[in-house]
Amino acid sequence: MARRYGTLAGFIAVVMMLWVLLPDTFITARNLINVSQQISMLAVVAFTMTIVMAMNDFDLSVGSLASLSGITAAVLFTYDWPVAAALAAALVVGLTGGLLNGWLVSYVGILPFVATLGTLTIYSGLAFLISGGKTVFGRDIPDAFGGFSRGGIPLDWLGVEKLRIPALTVIALSVLLLVWYLLERRVFGRHLYVIGNNREAAHYAGIAVKRLRLAAFALTGVGSAAAGLMLASRVASANPTQGAGLMLDGIAAVFLGMSLHRRGEPHVIATFAGVVMLGLLDNGLTQLSVDSYVREIMVGIILLVAVGFSVLSARRLTG
Amino acid sequence: MSRIGFKVLLFVVLFSTSWLAHAAAKVAVITPYLAQPGTQFYVEGFEVAAKDHGWDVNVIDTKGDVAAVISRLEDAVTQNVDAIVINVDPAQITAGLAAAADAGIPVVGMDSGTDPMLVTNVTSNGYAMAAETTSYVVNRLNGVGNVVMFVFDAFPPVQARGVIADAIFANTPDIKVVERITPDVQDGGIADSRAQMEALLAANPEKGSINAVWAAWDQPALGALQAIEAADRSDEGIVIVGIDANPQARDAIKADGNFEASMAQDFTGIGSTAASVVARVLSGEKIKQPVIYVPTRLVTLSNVDTMD
Repeated sequence: MARRYGTLAGFIAVVMMLWVLLPDTFITARNLINVSQQISMLAVVAFTMTIVMAMNDFDLSVGSLASLSGITAAVLFTYDWPVAAALAAALVVGLTGGLLNGWLVSYVGILPFVATLGTLTIYSGLAFLISGGKTVFGRDIPDAFGGFSRGGIPLDWLGVEKLRIPALTVIALSVLLLVWYLLERRVFGRHLYVIGNNREAAHYAGIAVKRLRLAAFALTGVGSAAAGLMLASRVASANPTQGAGLMLDGIAAVFLGMSLHRRGEPHVIATFAGVVMLGLLDNGLTQLSVDSYVREIMVGIILLVAVGFSVLSARRLTG
Repeated sequence: MSRIGFKVLLFVVLFSTSWLAHAAAKVAVITPYLAQPGTQFYVEGFEVAAKDHGWDVNVIDTKGDVAAVISRLEDAVTQNVDAIVINVDPAQITAGLAAAADAGIPVVGMDSGTDPMLVTNVTSNGYAMAAETTSYVVNRLNGVGNVVMFVFDAFPPVQARGVIADAIFANTPDIKVVERITPDVQDGGIADSRAQMEALLAANPEKGSINAVWAAWDQPALGALQAIEAADRSDEGIVIVGIDANPQARDAIKADGNFEASMAQDFTGIGSTAASVVARVLSGEKIKQPVIYVPTRLVTLSNVDTMD
């Protein structure tokens, strides 16, 4: 019981504290909508990261694959590719990158940590190579692409003026729904968790472990590409390193979510809670004018406390 | 003290400080580049001036993450700050600037680039910097001599420097530009400039056939210096000038050799000027100029030690 709700209780306590300290600007529709948009890219990375982490695997290359996909689309824009074609090409880059990761991990048999560390470097190098190290911005980025992230679904019909659900938030929620369906409602997902518990047993039970791992990494790759495109749209520009921060935060969000689960498994709804936690902390502490470096230290401490607490209480349970 | 007593005290302190903070104007300074020396000087200059105004300044560093600048801009808007100062290319944070514009919060650029959504951009004048170093060369040569130029027209801020140098040299009848070189900058600009200068020195072996090197920034000037020293022609009195006054260039100027002058931007001054722009905007003044220039200074042997 303590294990499952310790993190949640701590999180609610932090949110309440921020709410008390920022009575007028924290828990408001406007601010929460803002936060939902700010965390949307991290959310997509973390959701799809949950897929590989369900198998007890890792993908360190998500950030650089996001950068590579974003810059691919941007460079294609400079060659006057239509928006749809450039986006499709960028997603194919993500899919290919994910398949390479999956192949290295599952068919060649390199540890995911090492395999994706290698591809992290490769994708990052490719991003620099195709962009010449430069940022693509301004007139090279079509209005339809840069403007997308500024649009959204208006809420006038709800009687709320001047507010809308941002387009990026809608994408993140769709990805959440999709990953939830795959992991929680399909045999595919159940098999991934079986692999995560005991890969050998899964193999002997007749589960196509290799194929499933390949597929899982491919999905994570596509997710990274989507996040990279969302990021590029948000800043209406692309540079070869802009996705770099997504990887560590994405893994942190999954871990935070795992501390919410009874057996410490990664589940996408819990990951969602982890992402919201990180986003609200960032937003609240910025509003409180907490120094950005102190903020970073606090986020690290909160992660360690949450995960540490759940490990300790698990030990108490198992004796 | 009882625990409850302590909690009450804590809340009283927190609330009173947040109430006091409300009384002072709140200004958010947002940059991805705080780790870079130039940016640190801007921010320091800004903070010192802000203290005099009694503002509550929140400096936010997103550590190279431009998307996070948008998020933090939105947060600052939510927080309802009185003004925002940015040090990042405005073209990449349009979404954040739009949020500030919607809320009517002024955004001032600190060496950021020009943008209609900014109140103004405070920066150094590239034209003026080039005019100073070019006049220095013309005067040192007494208006007579052969000059080698290192330029880079593909990058607009550097192109602007070259254009001024062209004009001033063209306006001096006895100055001849023998070569106008665009170095390959992939290696940082020093190595290729050195190679090109070595080739040029080999092609002009007579003493006094080259009298000056004008470089649009410091790296080619340093490359040319290395070439002249390697060719053992330091004693010919070839005058070298650069722009930016980076630490390596300052060392070269201090060494009292061929590298005689460069231009130093006043980073701290850019910060304090940005603060005075914020003060003017907060007092209701409308700023007309989209760009405000902070004077730069010529660095030579005579003042290189006294410059910060």
